[in-house]
Amino acid sequence: MAVATQAFKGNLKKALAGLRRIDLEGLRWRVFDAKGQVLGRLASQIATVIQGKDKPTYAPHQEDGDMCIVLNAKDVSVTGRKMTNKFYRWHTGYIGHLRERSLKDQLVKDPTEVVRKAVLRMLPRNKLRDDRDRKLRIFAGSEHPFVDRPLEPYVMPPRKVREMRPRARRALIRAQIKAEQGSAGPIVKKKK
Amino acid sequence: MNKDKIFKLAKGFRGRAKNCIRIARERVEKALQYSYRDRRNKKRDMRSLWIERINAGTRLHGVNYGNFMHGLMKENIQLNRKVLSELSIHEPYSFKGLVDISRNAFPGNKLAVKDGSSIAV
Repeated sequence: MAVATQAFKGNLKKALAGLRRIDLEGLRWRVFDAKGQVLGRLASQIATVIQGKDKPTYAPHQEDGDMCIVLNAKDVSVTGRKMTNKFYRWHTGYIGHLRERSLKDQLVKDPTEVVRKAVLRMLPRNKLRDDRDRKLRIFAGSEHPFVDRPLEPYVMPPRKVREMRPRARRALIRAQIKAEQGSAGPIVKKKK
Repeated sequence: MNKDKIFKLAKGFRGRAKNCIRIARERVEKALQYSYRDRRNKKRDMRSLWIERINAGTRLHGVNYGNFMHGLMKENIQLNRKVLSELSIHEPYSFKGLVDISRNAFPGNKLAVKDGSSIAV
């Protein structure tokens, strides 16, 4: 375990950055596992916890959210065609220099930025936003250097998955049948 | 006379607004207008803050705010939101009792699992 944590020395500095600036240590350390979670739904839960809105002692003028650690950020999933079609755009300030990068490339380049952008854009834009950003620690893999703290895993609320639309369901059934045909044998079945 | 009153009200203002009468007069007028408006807004803001706190407190027990209040209305419990929010902070066990009453009155949520303890910092 010690060898593994020392393995990413570069990220160690980033992971512990600004930890001294956070005053209260009566906070809990919540661990989110992003493996297989949908990006936006996970980010919405993280944003609620980071703001402290799940505590009855919430006050809008003070910052009392829990520390959030997100693991396996590279395994976060999205629905639809967002993996290739979702673009992160930014303008550099020079005329005509609108840059864009797709989700796939961003995951290759820096997977933590995907979750970080998603959460930051869900927080209210006020003076507490930077402090809340400091409470959020995201790791691409499943190792993190906070093993000596009292960690609490966060259980995501059960999700109601919408029933598939008829056309998509028919396409899925056709794809299944094609897979069966390819593996089993030339038995032709017509499904309507 | 009026000038002194204005300067007295302009304490803590930024820049020339606390020292020069022409600017201070405008800023003080605006400040008084804001305070008139905000005396009414405060009531709205406080109620919304109570509702947020009650929501957080009930979600720790698996019920959301809407169903909770519906259950309380059904049982004709007339505690107001201010008291409920205070209970949720300082009297967590009594609040849990109220949540149970509401859950029995209105078959709301039976969320399977909730994270951590219900007593916050």
